Amino acid sequence: MIDAGTLTTLDELQNRYARALGLRDMRAWADCFDDPGSYVCTVRENEDNDLGIAMMMDDSSDRIQDRVKYVTEVWKGTFEDYHCRHFVHRTRCGIEDDGLIAVESNLLVAYTDMKGRSGVLAVGIYHDRIALKAGAARFRAKRVILDTTVTPRYLVYPL
Amino acid sequence: MTSISTDSLLRWPARFNEIPKEVFHRPDIYELELERIFGGPDWQMVAHRAELSAPGDYKTARLGEIPILLVHGDDGVIRVFANACTHRGVHLATCPRGHAASLQCPYHRWEFALDGALIGAPGSADFPSDFRKEDYALRPIRSAEFLGIVFVTASAVTPPLEEWLDDTKPYIAKVLKGDGRLRFLGYQKAVYDTNWKSYSDNEGYHGPLLHAAFRMLRFPKADGVQFMTKNAHKVNSAQFPAVPHTGFLKDYSLLETYDKTCSPQNTIISLFPLSIIAHNVESISLRYAFPLGPAQTEVHYAYFGHQDDDEGMIRHRIRQGSNLAGPSGFITLEDGAVFNRLQIGSHTSGNVAFQKGVKAGEPITAPCLLDKGDEAGNLVRWERYRTLMGFDRD
Repeated sequence: MIDAGTLTTLDELQNRYARALGLRDMRAWADCFDDPGSYVCTVRENEDNDLGIAMMMDDSSDRIQDRVKYVTEVWKGTFEDYHCRHFVHRTRCGIEDDGLIAVESNLLVAYTDMKGRSGVLAVGIYHDRIALKAGAARFRAKRVILDTTVTPRYLVYPL
Repeated sequence: MTSISTDSLLRWPARFNEIPKEVFHRPDIYELELERIFGGPDWQMVAHRAELSAPGDYKTARLGEIPILLVHGDDGVIRVFANACTHRGVHLATCPRGHAASLQCPYHRWEFALDGALIGAPGSADFPSDFRKEDYALRPIRSAEFLGIVFVTASAVTPPLEEWLDDTKPYIAKVLKGDGRLRFLGYQKAVYDTNWKSYSDNEGYHGPLLHAAFRMLRFPKADGVQFMTKNAHKVNSAQFPAVPHTGFLKDYSLLETYDKTCSPQNTIISLFPLSIIAHNVESISLRYAFPLGPAQTEVHYAYFGHQDDDEGMIRHRIRQGSNLAGPSGFITLEDGAVFNRLQIGSHTSGNVAFQKGVKAGEPITAPCLLDKGDEAGNLVRWERYRTLMGFDRD
């Protein structure tokens, strides 16, 4: 059983994560991850068939830091920018044998292009493994599994 | 070819390096392309047999806008059919991939064997006396394989596959590790808001200019070749020294070979009209593209390893495939942005004009060798397009 205070801490992490992406603040996004930490965004079509290819795969803290650099420096000024809003709903939560907290959530991401046109960017779930240290929560592993196999535009920002 | 006159549709510019922008967005031209390009005398790449490796495995795709179904038969043959029941035309297989012992239409339970034969039609005692099951097998689509890559064509006059592939064959074989015994690793799929011709019109000129990663990472100068075949296919293949560790990235492994003693390779084979076979460092991908009307193109990036790879190599290929050269790839994301912007820009008047590698007053004829950084080779593709479409030059 997870106590109410811990649940609040977990939700604060999800809120911090959603806010970072809403602000397109990649450094704040990276700061949601523990060290070591990992971020993988894949699609259900691959996941259900045990196929390893993902849309994004940062399997180390170094790779997470490099993704910040891609978005903020390498791709700067070339892509069509967009806003995204993450709607996250925790559906399951439990403590694992290694002490990490496993959280499963539903995810819906809406996006708005720079002309102000909005739509659904992706629907899926988060499988998170979260580390609690000194009362603060960070993602040890965040795995996004998208039901949306073909997103309506190319993904610049992580989901 | 049909007898539709194209004289009134469009006049093509006299200058060899110019392309009228209206071909990128006009619905009437797109409709004609479905007939003359996607129904024309070329092969379209739709799968590798590693994606449907066992008898009973199937995959769905499109040929132009025709839904098609690839089925791995009990005899090991991959057959391609129009993906519709031969009774009332119900779309037969609806999933991207699947496995079945037979294929059944839910409407009236007509059932088809893996080789397409009609094996069940409930109530057939009440059918007309001249009804024969043999006449209602799934409608075959002409197909052929090269090293396990499955191609389809809607035309009976398309040359045999290996003749059509001509000088690309050794390069395809090299990307597929000689024998094409691949292991499927997964898909990335994306829709670009662009005409299929813009998607397939990428070239060597833009690489170091659009993709800042090459500059920021101080990519070493590559040594390679770019050429056009007589059938308007393009090969751009290079090897380059290891990328120096300057500290720009924390993890350089995405840009490195698994065996550090090997030089990184980059090979892009663009088959007319819009199939791409790519090898980026250790990532092997087949990119199947499907037009969705004049202003959208859906691309399925399928990634592979080789059956003899050890698990470390497979892991390396998965990491690179997931991050390097796909729709959100470190090196390639900017391509998607340009595809979309080309489409919007195509609604301005006038012509597109290719320059790099073009010689004044001289048309480019294939086969031909080009500088790696030229864009002129695409004019060979455009000339084939113009000819197939029947557009006359001014």
